[in-house]
Amino acid sequence: MVKPKLKTAGLAVVLMALLAGCSQNNSSSSPSTPTEDDNSPVTFSYYMFSPGKKDTLASETRIGKELQEQTGVDFKMEYLVGDSATKAGVMIASGDYPDVISSSGEMSKLLDAGAYIPLDDLIEQYGPNIKRVYGPYFDKMRNAEDGKIYALPYTANQGEYSGNPNVGGGAFWIQRSVLKEFNYPKITTLDEYFDLIEDYKEKHPTVDGAETIGFVSLAGVANNFFTLQNPAMHLAGYPNDGSVMVNMDTHEAKVVAGTDEQKKWVEKLNEINAKGMLDPESFTMNKDQYLAKLTSGRVLGYFNYGWQIGDASKNLLSAGIDEKRYAPLPIVFDEGIKDQYIDPPGFVNNYATGITVNAKDPVRIIQYFDNLLKEENQILVQWGIKDETYSVDENGRFYYANDDQRKAHDDLELSRQFGFTYFGTDWPRYGGESTLSDGNAYSPGNQPEVAAASYTEGDKKFLDAYGIQTFSELFNKPEERPWFPAWSIALEQGSPEQIFTTKSDDLQRKYLPEMILGSPANFSKLWDTYMAELSKLDKAGYEATITRIVQDRVAGKW
Amino acid sequence: MPPASEPKGIKANSFFKRLIQQRTLALMCIPFVIWAFIFKYLPLWGWTMAFQNFKPARSFSDQQWVGWHHFSILFEDNTFYRVLRNTLVMSSIKLVLGFVTAITLALLLNELKNVIFKRFVQTVSYLPHFISWVVASSIVLTVLSPDGIINLLLTKLHLIDSPILWMGKGEYFWGILGATEVWKDVGWNTIIYLAAITAIDPAQYEAAEIDGASRFKRMLYITLPGLKPVIVILLIMNMGSILESGFEPQYLLGNGMNMDYSENLDIFVLKYGLGMGNFSLGTAAGIFKTVVSFIFLFSANFIAKKMGESRLF
Repeated sequence: MVKPKLKTAGLAVVLMALLAGCSQNNSSSSPSTPTEDDNSPVTFSYYMFSPGKKDTLASETRIGKELQEQTGVDFKMEYLVGDSATKAGVMIASGDYPDVISSSGEMSKLLDAGAYIPLDDLIEQYGPNIKRVYGPYFDKMRNAEDGKIYALPYTANQGEYSGNPNVGGGAFWIQRSVLKEFNYPKITTLDEYFDLIEDYKEKHPTVDGAETIGFVSLAGVANNFFTLQNPAMHLAGYPNDGSVMVNMDTHEAKVVAGTDEQKKWVEKLNEINAKGMLDPESFTMNKDQYLAKLTSGRVLGYFNYGWQIGDASKNLLSAGIDEKRYAPLPIVFDEGIKDQYIDPPGFVNNYATGITVNAKDPVRIIQYFDNLLKEENQILVQWGIKDETYSVDENGRFYYANDDQRKAHDDLELSRQFGFTYFGTDWPRYGGESTLSDGNAYSPGNQPEVAAASYTEGDKKFLDAYGIQTFSELFNKPEERPWFPAWSIALEQGSPEQIFTTKSDDLQRKYLPEMILGSPANFSKLWDTYMAELSKLDKAGYEATITRIVQDRVAGKW
Repeated sequence: MPPASEPKGIKANSFFKRLIQQRTLALMCIPFVIWAFIFKYLPLWGWTMAFQNFKPARSFSDQQWVGWHHFSILFEDNTFYRVLRNTLVMSSIKLVLGFVTAITLALLLNELKNVIFKRFVQTVSYLPHFISWVVASSIVLTVLSPDGIINLLLTKLHLIDSPILWMGKGEYFWGILGATEVWKDVGWNTIIYLAAITAIDPAQYEAAEIDGASRFKRMLYITLPGLKPVIVILLIMNMGSILESGFEPQYLLGNGMNMDYSENLDIFVLKYGLGMGNFSLGTAAGIFKTVVSFIFLFSANFIAKKMGESRLF
């Protein structure tokens, strides 16, 4: 498989060398003849480095159709299958870029390769709405090397900050029947969490004839291994800063791997595994098998970020059995720790969308983006069409008037057909915690009226039992972290820092499962071996780099 | 061929004479020579990447030359030796198992007299070849999962007490991979041997039968020797790809727990080359692979020549 790719890479280099002259001429000549209101039909290609959606034409969704009528532009949207780093490498090696790329984690690689064109002039000329939305963030969006803007991120919040009443981020999830069985106890520590699951599993050893699974993790899938790594920092009271914990006072970054926090977390898993509560398949199954397990009703607890399991939770919701659904809990190591599961307001500058050097007509694309950022179109991509997918009450507040309107958003297939699934992210947009100029929340999920109305009977029972209005009230409010998130720090390609990341991840992928599944008697010996291996890597250098960038960001230098 | 004693001038003349005589043939070759040049030789230019700190989107003259730097990184890395070992072991397993099972199956199928049953066996055995590795690996993962049929069977037969986490034990990986490869490709590989068997003169079998050779004897002394040229040629060709242990099954079946045994050169190149955008390192590993394959191919051919067997060139 790889060898032909390398050959292709070689060939691409040759061809690039041969064609260098003409291709450069092409790209500079095309944007020189723009016409103001060009609505002739055209289709561009749009590649997303985010997985899990079906490829489609924008015009095959209601939203895309509407936008096509306004601009004449259609997009062929293609989504990642498999490993994003590899896909990016192949794309760069072949130089075969689509017109537009949403980078997800691959931004620095694409920038290094010169895949994107600078947008400054285009924005100046054609982007009044882009300027309005992104203007306050331009400084954080500029490329460190040449000060130019290459891509438009998805987190530019507008207006007042509106928090999410539901938990879309990380949490320890627990099946609601477990909480119900014990009359909705309030649990906060890891020990309480697993004790509860253990008690329930003893009472109900099987579900529908199959053995009950106490706890499961998605650690078998290489690019989802953080599911096993991250809980350590959340349990210690930190938000998701990637592979580091940043001290609130000194702004020093500490790598999670090899810390006492990690040891405590892994040791606990080792303990519950010895009790037969951990599913050993956690480390070998693929994502499809994992999601199937979550929807089977056999699993009592798991740790995940909401966006990792979107399809599974939507399926559980539409199945309508509330007790088999899961509730998010802000679990910490000890009583005194203040949980920080909810992301503080931050700005992610490297998950963004940009126009590539291969784009046939950058002007039409930027005009489309600018049109998309008009407030009425931002309402279209989030709320849809008035009286069809949402209604407006006499006070001008948006809400869902009936179940059909709610379903248009919540049902997996309906939201695909309408286009919410496709336009909800990966496009230039307001940040998810924005407020519209008329005071409504930008994301329907953040609108209190909607959140309250969309709760099922089971949801209401759960919330009543804990005496709260929304799920996020279970969690602590986020503290201010001006550097957040540290995971958006772009490491240079092939740099020692990047090699450290790869090597330490490999070590953890090997040793953590071994420690967890091994007998408790061997644990400390294995931990020592793991630490010895880890100490051979340049952890200090990595921490120094991250600390420097975090401190720069705190000082306002992004 | 002209006699060796003829002067050189005449030899060259006769070459051109033959060229003119066979000009149609020569002309027909031209497109393919051009094709081979563009797709097989031009890409070799890309090997220069291995000696640079290659950055995409920069012209050739802007690249920084670093000599053998990437090769030394490769040879100083412990991971590299581990993946090299895995590659060699896995491809040897694949080679040996592939040959043995395919030849055995071909011999057995050849002895079948019931045509319908023979066709049925053949169809069933080569069907998995058409399943993509993505699907095949899902099947393997499901079958070998703790709730899977293998564990179920073994527990019901009281051979094991508790389910075995097959994919979680590195030592099992090579065996699982070998079995999977055989399941997937044995039927397909058999086809070429079955074809070769049909080319064996039936008179030989008749003669042997008259001489009183049993079925097994006929298999051993007629069918197998008849297959020998095909076997040797295929062996030589496969030696050339000794470092091609495959990529998809290892990638799809591999996980953190069996990484020490499942990661091969291709995955290493993918992770440290393409994955990190370090194309130079990837190319260096690719060159290493080609050189080793080259040596293997030529040695195999040389040995075959010495043993007086049919050979590739």
